[in-house]
Amino acid sequence: MRETVSATLRYFFRCLSAIGIFTALATGAIAAEAPKAPAKDFQSLDTRIQTLKQDAMELNRDLLVLEEELLFPSSTQVAVFVSMDIGTLFDLDAVQVKLDNNIVSNYLYTDREVKALVRGGVQRLYLGNLKTGKHELVAVFTGKGPRWRDYRRGATLNFEKTTNPKYIELQIKDTESKQQPEFRVKEWQ
Amino acid sequence: MPRVVENIIRLSLALGCAAALSMAPAHSRELREVKDPHYGEVLFHFYQQNYFSALTTLMTAQHFERLPHHNDEAELLRGGMLLSYGLHRQAGEIFQALIDAGAAPAVRDRAWFYLAKIRHQRGYLAEAEEAMSRIQGRLPGDLEDERRVLHALMLQREGRHAEAVAALRQASLRSSWAAYGRYNLGVALIQAGDRDAGVTLLDELGRDRARGEEMAALRDKANVALAFAFLQSETPARAKPYLDRVRMNGLMSNKALLGLGWTHAALNQPERALVPWSELAQRATVDTAVQESLLAVPFAYGKLGAHKQSLAGYELALAAYSREIERLDQSIEAIRRGSLVENIIRNNPGDESGWFWRISRLPDTPESRYLAELLASHAFQEGMKNYRDLRFLADNIGRWTQQSAIYRDMLATRRQGYTERLPRVTAGEHALDIERLRAARTKYVEELERIEREEDAGALASDKEQALAARLERLRRGAGTLTDAEQRAQMQEKQRLLSGLLNWDLSAKYPERLWQAQKGMKEADSAFTEAEKHRFALDAARTDVPESFGAFENRIAGMDSRIRGLQTQVADISREQENYLAELAVDELTHRRENIVAYVTQARFAVAQIYDEAVRAKEKTQ
Repeated sequence: MRETVSATLRYFFRCLSAIGIFTALATGAIAAEAPKAPAKDFQSLDTRIQTLKQDAMELNRDLLVLEEELLFPSSTQVAVFVSMDIGTLFDLDAVQVKLDNNIVSNYLYTDREVKALVRGGVQRLYLGNLKTGKHELVAVFTGKGPRWRDYRRGATLNFEKTTNPKYIELQIKDTESKQQPEFRVKEWQ
Repeated sequence: MPRVVENIIRLSLALGCAAALSMAPAHSRELREVKDPHYGEVLFHFYQQNYFSALTTLMTAQHFERLPHHNDEAELLRGGMLLSYGLHRQAGEIFQALIDAGAAPAVRDRAWFYLAKIRHQRGYLAEAEEAMSRIQGRLPGDLEDERRVLHALMLQREGRHAEAVAALRQASLRSSWAAYGRYNLGVALIQAGDRDAGVTLLDELGRDRARGEEMAALRDKANVALAFAFLQSETPARAKPYLDRVRMNGLMSNKALLGLGWTHAALNQPERALVPWSELAQRATVDTAVQESLLAVPFAYGKLGAHKQSLAGYELALAAYSREIERLDQSIEAIRRGSLVENIIRNNPGDESGWFWRISRLPDTPESRYLAELLASHAFQEGMKNYRDLRFLADNIGRWTQQSAIYRDMLATRRQGYTERLPRVTAGEHALDIERLRAARTKYVEELERIEREEDAGALASDKEQALAARLERLRRGAGTLTDAEQRAQMQEKQRLLSGLLNWDLSAKYPERLWQAQKGMKEADSAFTEAEKHRFALDAARTDVPESFGAFENRIAGMDSRIRGLQTQVADISREQENYLAELAVDELTHRRENIVAYVTQARFAVAQIYDEAVRAKEKTQ
């Protein structure tokens, strides 16, 4: 009987080894999930791809720098950012920005973008040019407020554009004491 | 896509995915306070997992020195994102630089851990070991258990089972890594010779109330591994209870049925072995266990002496193998034609390239049925990720090609506008005659100084007052010509009185008028300075603007050349990568084909044996 068992199992494992099943089963998930050492040509290709990615990133950086210097020189540059804290009292749908009564941006937000804002991301909503002097910015925020009601609020900023770049941040904050969202406009120095 | 294929992929990726996803939340709270808006912009892209945009935005902000409050964090984030983008070498350099610059131990240890993980997953095993050895402290949260599991994997690959066991013994059982850790530990113990301890651990896992498909699949795997360990040690009776625990339709069910048949066969119960094997033989022949069962069924009939059924079974198997070989040949041909990679990319869209992208759906093509295991492997996933990154780069560079053309046109328009406007502006400047204005200003300044010095209130008199003074002067002269002495005296007195009143008024108003005049002069000076500034700006513009046009044109030309160079490289390497992936797939299918050919040989040999025995039996009876 013992001999029969051994002979049968030996036959079985010979078959399994031949087709590679046994290795996978006996060593289980470890062998199956651990990476096979990549072939040499993979590493060579991988190295070249890494270099290519690095070159592409540097090219993108240089092109973005060129684009900004060409289109938005610092002497006339104005950038409008949007930020949000907590985000429990206001569910942002859209923001409209007017500069000197001209609409420069109408932006509808995706869920993913709103989540990125709530996590601490700051969106650069608008990048443009303005002459030196006095200007007016009006931002209109649309979304759902407390108790899921439609909510639309505006915020205004009168500011002076100098020959330095001007950064303006539209802040959406939850004011717990009032249980209302608050919309502020901050000038970065 | 068949559910079983999804399951194979999900299970095989469980280790990698869970590890990768743990990376993002680690950043979320600690980086909340944004002191530079451009840093927040980087985070905005980062939190959306748009790593390429986040990286290039970060690099651009660093170029303009816009992150003064977040220098170190930005570098740490850049390192993390380079890891996310698969650039572990460059990420390593950043982490090394942070470490050299005295980063906090917690940051340093986490940096080395991520580095070890990515290197391991990319197959750079020696480098992964080196990074792992640099971790000195305990990592936060689940990362510590993840580290121990990863470390154990590395040790096991080197055959250092005892050390792998020691590493895994320290892993907490509470974390999501516990199940994988227990499984790995169990297998490691058996491999290291401590079978009883390994069996105990795997048995616990095999009885576990699994939460979700992934854990249920792992439980099945533990039971199958245990059963095969007992089959290997020629104690088939102990294997059976574990195989009975495996779900009939789970990922491991085919292998369990195959093992159950062999268990009965080993216990000399071929008639009972036929039950699982016959069930298995009805399933899709793409699975290697099913292919094996096609041989096992006639083998069992042979053991039972049912040679007719055995012969029929082998012939069925041969027919099935023949169909399978034909399908494999067609699939190999299809892959060589080059459609596989494109189909996979089309079925697995994503926003941007990056670490979190994984193949989750197989294309609905004939060759896909064979490739589930290959597609779930690290080598193929990494290769696909690289290919997808290359596709993204090709699109990205393509967009810049268009932008670059737009900038060139825009610059040409600006140059033309400048050329047209310059003569008009120059003419306006000439009309303004700033030299004449400068001379007039000097004269006024001198006059004002004299007035102040001499306290010449009359010089600041209004038009009306000057007219009055002129009238009084005429009156004085007229009074002198009067012949009547009394009348003359009266007139002169009146004139003196009026002149006195005028002088009094002028003297009273003098300080204010002087101040007004000086103020006016200052305003004029300011306007004059402004005019001079404009003139200097205009002079500078005459030189600088054409130079800046030239500089921008040169920069754009330089960028164009880099864009073209990269475009060619991306296209070339993409082709190579596609070929490499196709070869991986073809190798896998060829390997499968060779196995089936081996089965065919065995089946034919068995058929020949049956015929031989039949002939011998016939000869005996004659």
